[in-house]
Amino acid sequence: MISIAVIFGVNLFSGSINSYYYQIIIYCGINIVLATSLNLINGYTGQFSLGHAGFMAIGAYVSAALSTYLAPTLLSVFGDGTLGRSAWFILVLLMGGTGAAIAGIVVGVPSLRLKGDYLAITTLGFSEIIRVTIQNLTSIGASQGFRGVYVYDNGVRSLEMVPELSSVAYKFYDIPKYTDFFWAFLVVAIIIFGITNLMRSTYGRGFIAVKDDEIAAEAMGVNTTRFKVTAFVIGAFFAGVAGGLYAHFLQYINPEDFNFLRSVEIVAMVILGGMGSTFGVVLAAIILTVLPELLRDVQQYRMIIYALLLIIMMLLRPQGLFGIKLERKKKKVSPEEAPEATLKD
Amino acid sequence: MELLKLNNCTIRFGGLTAVDSLDTFVGNDELVGMIGPNGAGKTTVFNIITGVYDPTEGDVLFNGESIVKYKPYQVTHKGIARTFQNIRLCPSLSVKDNVRVSYNNKCKSRLISSVLQLKGYHEEEKQIDEEIHGLLEMFDLHVDADEYAKNLPYGDQRKLEIVRALATKPKLLLLDEPAAGMNPSEKKDLMHLIQTVKDKFKISILLVEHDMSVVMGICERIFVLDYGKKIAEGKPEEIQKDPKVIEAYLGEPAKKS
Repeated sequence: MISIAVIFGVNLFSGSINSYYYQIIIYCGINIVLATSLNLINGYTGQFSLGHAGFMAIGAYVSAALSTYLAPTLLSVFGDGTLGRSAWFILVLLMGGTGAAIAGIVVGVPSLRLKGDYLAITTLGFSEIIRVTIQNLTSIGASQGFRGVYVYDNGVRSLEMVPELSSVAYKFYDIPKYTDFFWAFLVVAIIIFGITNLMRSTYGRGFIAVKDDEIAAEAMGVNTTRFKVTAFVIGAFFAGVAGGLYAHFLQYINPEDFNFLRSVEIVAMVILGGMGSTFGVVLAAIILTVLPELLRDVQQYRMIIYALLLIIMMLLRPQGLFGIKLERKKKKVSPEEAPEATLKD
Repeated sequence: MELLKLNNCTIRFGGLTAVDSLDTFVGNDELVGMIGPNGAGKTTVFNIITGVYDPTEGDVLFNGESIVKYKPYQVTHKGIARTFQNIRLCPSLSVKDNVRVSYNNKCKSRLISSVLQLKGYHEEEKQIDEEIHGLLEMFDLHVDADEYAKNLPYGDQRKLEIVRALATKPKLLLLDEPAAGMNPSEKKDLMHLIQTVKDKFKISILLVEHDMSVVMGICERIFVLDYGKKIAEGKPEEIQKDPKVIEAYLGEPAKKS
């Protein structure tokens, strides 16, 4: 509750921030949601997924399509007030998330029998299928991208102006720009709060047990398949919500925004942050969002430096920024014990 | 009363018959040993009981109910817990949390109530914490409760596997070579421990072990496997004298030429 109040408070000032910085901040928020949700799948549950961009794409397109195609209906139901728009936004975000979650079940149930590289390839293939499918769906812009629809009074909806209907009144509904600091970081707060609580609980330890040793977890009565699918579905849901946030911020989405590189970028955030460390992943998401922007001054070397930093990072701290290092925790040695040990030598 | 009964169990992997029409049982409150040379199929028997493998033929009854078609986690819910020959702890979880995993299926707080910390969540977690502490204390592991499991000494890791299995509240405990890699004094402690566990928790134990001093010392009944077949069954003293058993372990006596 406190964090929500803080987010709301900061939101009031956000108007005064330079719009370039503001955009980066929003991207940070969206990337944090993507990375922490993938961390649940890759980091905590140990199922290497390379298809997060696919889920994001579903969320983005489902929510954007609802916000535009159904815009007249939504407007008449919710009205144009702040409350109405909030309800509208929550609704389309949830629908986007649900769409992605359903896709998560469809992909997860058969492919989670696979492990390691095989699962990575399958999920990668899946996200490419989604991207290519979107590229061929003309009703949501195909490879041209999607920014809104023309709604004619006689009910016709089209991405382009229709010459034959030049006499009919129409209105263009673009994807509304609903995502602001408040919404983006509200979702961030929800997912961090949720995952932290989950992983602290007895139920949540099941996810880590599945990662550590599936056979042992199963022998201790943990339904490993169920845990894997649960992680996959929750992760997909939040990727979908992040996609919705993205679409309602940029107001234009293109299938190319959700290609393989996007998935890799999210995976890089998880690995850099340290698999299974929410704090580390949040930090990594921020770094990997801000860093390319900071390097804009050295334009031509930008990607080289970016890549080098990643390589150096992985060499120096292979477990990630805040990954678990399985070192023995320091024990307090009582003064009585210590001299005895030296005497024995 | 028979707690666990194997009826004519056979399992074949391709042309290899790993377990061949095995008939045996474990009674209530009984400590049974299973011995046999390397590759005799002892661990395979464990895997059949716990649902890792389905037997090609035959049936496994637990409390009179067939458990052949159950998955491993369902078998655990029914009341059979096991340890592993090569230790399988969760390395990135603390000692306490390794035990906590066993409470996973029992705790009522599932996804939603864990995330939102609904009513009853905190009480349940607290109760689980206390139970875990009690168990660890019983096995002298409570001092290392917050240590990562992989940093424990070898003997303690084996103990932790037993604690973890006990935390699922089993009626039957399967121990797969618990004394492997232990020195004689550790083995002695272990024998004592197994006996205590059996008495305190009032459970049956099926024990696979190579070390004869352990098996002969604590088991009430022993059966011997060789090439997947049961070649002998009886009290420890009888088994020690059984010529078939001696032959399986040491080979046939040399013929005079």
